[in-house]
Amino acid sequence: MNYCNLITIFAFINLLVSIPHGYSNYVETKAGQFFSSGHTNNWAVLVCTSRFWFNYRHVANTLSVYRSVKRLGIPDSHIVLMLADDMACNYRNPKPATVFSHKNMELNVYGDDVEVDYRGYEVTVENFLRVLTGRLPPSTPRSKRLLSDDRSNILIYLTGHGGNGFLKFQDSEEISNMELADAFEQMWQKRRYNELLFIIDTCQGASMYERFYSPNLMALASSQVGEDSLSHQPDLGIGVHLMDKYTFYLLEFLEEVHPASQANMNDLFKVCPQSQCVSTPGHRTDLFQRDPGSVLITDFFGSVRKVEITKDTINLTSPVEPPIKRSGSSDIQIESLTYVDQLPVAEIIHQKPKQKDWHPPDGFILGLWTLILLVFFQTYGIKHLKHIF
Amino acid sequence: MAAPLTLLLIVAVTIRAVLFRSSLAELISARVEVVSPLNAWKRVVEGLALLDLGVSPYSGDVFHETPLMIYLFHFTVDYAEIVFIIADGITALALYLSIQTYNKDVFRKQKYALESDRYSADCLELLRSPKEMFYIPLKVAMFYLLNPFTILSCVAKSTCGLNNAIIALFIFCTLKGSALLSGILLALATYQSIYPLTLFAPALLFFLQRLYIPVNLRRSSFWFFTLQYAFMYVGSLVVITGLSFFLLGSWDFIPSVYGFIFSVPDLTPNIGLFWYFFAEMFEHFRLFFSCVFQINVFFYTIPLSIKLKEHPVFLIFMQIAIISIFKSYPTVGDVALYMAFLPAWSHLYRFLRNIFLVSCVLLACSALFPVLWHLWIYAGSANSNFYYAITLLFNFGQILLVADYFYAYLRREHHLTHGLYLKKKDGTEATLVLK
Repeated sequence: MNYCNLITIFAFINLLVSIPHGYSNYVETKAGQFFSSGHTNNWAVLVCTSRFWFNYRHVANTLSVYRSVKRLGIPDSHIVLMLADDMACNYRNPKPATVFSHKNMELNVYGDDVEVDYRGYEVTVENFLRVLTGRLPPSTPRSKRLLSDDRSNILIYLTGHGGNGFLKFQDSEEISNMELADAFEQMWQKRRYNELLFIIDTCQGASMYERFYSPNLMALASSQVGEDSLSHQPDLGIGVHLMDKYTFYLLEFLEEVHPASQANMNDLFKVCPQSQCVSTPGHRTDLFQRDPGSVLITDFFGSVRKVEITKDTINLTSPVEPPIKRSGSSDIQIESLTYVDQLPVAEIIHQKPKQKDWHPPDGFILGLWTLILLVFFQTYGIKHLKHIF
Repeated sequence: MAAPLTLLLIVAVTIRAVLFRSSLAELISARVEVVSPLNAWKRVVEGLALLDLGVSPYSGDVFHETPLMIYLFHFTVDYAEIVFIIADGITALALYLSIQTYNKDVFRKQKYALESDRYSADCLELLRSPKEMFYIPLKVAMFYLLNPFTILSCVAKSTCGLNNAIIALFIFCTLKGSALLSGILLALATYQSIYPLTLFAPALLFFLQRLYIPVNLRRSSFWFFTLQYAFMYVGSLVVITGLSFFLLGSWDFIPSVYGFIFSVPDLTPNIGLFWYFFAEMFEHFRLFFSCVFQINVFFYTIPLSIKLKEHPVFLIFMQIAIISIFKSYPTVGDVALYMAFLPAWSHLYRFLRNIFLVSCVLLACSALFPVLWHLWIYAGSANSNFYYAITLLFNFGQILLVADYFYAYLRREHHLTHGLYLKKKDGTEATLVLK
């Protein structure tokens, strides 16, 4: 009986000890997931490229994505909002200080805490590329800079009028898909992003992501090459189309997302199928390292802080789980990413020896002086030699 | 004559040394009248730097010197100033000695002509005496060394000074009678810039005269000597070109140096006639006009040789003058070379007709060159036409000078044989016209 009691007590103590141990095991396994996405901060660059009253819907598109992104946690300091025209205070707006996204004025996406960073004529191709690559003059204020680092996930949303391979800015200039791809490559080389989600809602939007070649880019577009993206509903009270179809359904989808939701990218790809959108939305994930099914919506649209409060010490000796390999491509070896070697340190440390100066070939010197001597003796004769020596 | 010559050399070296050390040196090195794309010192340094970097110096249309120049300057680039001062000294010395030899020759010929009664009775005042000819070599050396053009050219370190030295040495060897050395030096001068090729004719005529071979195309002795001399000349040219090939291991220098001289691609303004024409010319006329302009340099050789076959040294003077007027990239250094000869023809003074005009034109143009350049390039109130007008006038002055001396020389020869006071058939005074 004593022995029985001892065993029970021993088992009970074991249980007591193992529970927190088990719990910390649980946390340790979860800790692997902490680092699975690899990002620590979120940024968003939302651009509307068209001006004039009849392009109301593009401003409404951008503002609705801004609203979702802010609602899911990204602060204004991490959002660069570029609106090419002011619809809320436009003299043709019958409801001033508002921008509606639903007919019957259900949802005002303008609100009273909208912070526009680039407005009006400041929205140019040059400024957009400068924001992306970080090459801004020193006098640019922080609110106008994309201060991302190599652990930032960036959401880039573009809307406006576009075509096959270009996007029109302000009715006077264009950005081409190659320029965009090169800007992203610059960002990659300058380690300005961890992962980047690129959404574009224009006509023939898929052409804009065709030329991407940098790693960790995922792109969505509202229409394929040769298709137009259509606008959703006109509002008879305001007199213009309020939203584009794709962004309307995207907004509807995002309204269901909250900071803790586990909705992933595969759900986002299903937004606005052809039956609803008339155009065929497209997406591109071949440059992305992780499986889209494991990428949360909030990885890009929200700023979800990975905080888990625990009172126990956790041993992180077990290696971090590697990112889930994409199914179906396990036979293809995905080579590990390396950053470009920007400073050839090896060469700087071991300085190259100084170049030797050029010297005339010895044969030449020999030949030249032999000839000179020959001519000398021919002219003056050998008999003079005895006067020299 | 050694003491005055030494004094002259010291004075010349002092002037050049002082100017080298002053701030004017850089100013002068940049003037387009003094340096041209062919002989600028900046380009020599650039070519040597390219060579040190392991690249052919002829890449990039910067460097247009011959490989032997590369060889020379590779070892003396730090002492360049001394090299150019020595070159000027060699030129002056060579001119001095050659004019001395020439004067002896002239006097000897005059003596023979007097003894053989070839001169008419009333031209005694035209005869030259050793007394008046005594200071001529010194004056020649002085005219070369103290000529502002020469000093400017030396201070700018333009390789024109070296070219002048080679031509002066060639003249010296010719007048001394050494055909081999003359051929070699002429080949060297031709190798440097192609135009001294025209000096082959006067040198040949001099040797023929010296060896008493009559200049008769039907005689075999003429052809025999001509072929000998031509063989020495062409042979040395081939050897020198081959040596240049071995220096750098490529034939790059031929299009860069000779192609450049002939096709005139660089239209930097200079005191010559090419740049303005070619700047405004349509592309498909370019070949035609460059041929015309280049033929203009070589063309005067044959008629002048025929006319002056008894007077090869004067022919050399004329040829050098024509080269420096009509060459594709002339500089004031070229002008200085033939101006050095002028004291040798000081006995022609009484027959010169345009002294005042020519001297005024040359002085005024030399003064106006920098003024109009400044107005064109810096002040912007003139344009290239102004500068080209002065160039034209300068060349006109030079041509007038040369033509004047030509007229005076021929007139003196005519008077020597036909008498000083010429009469027409009806007894009135005749005038002599150069046709």
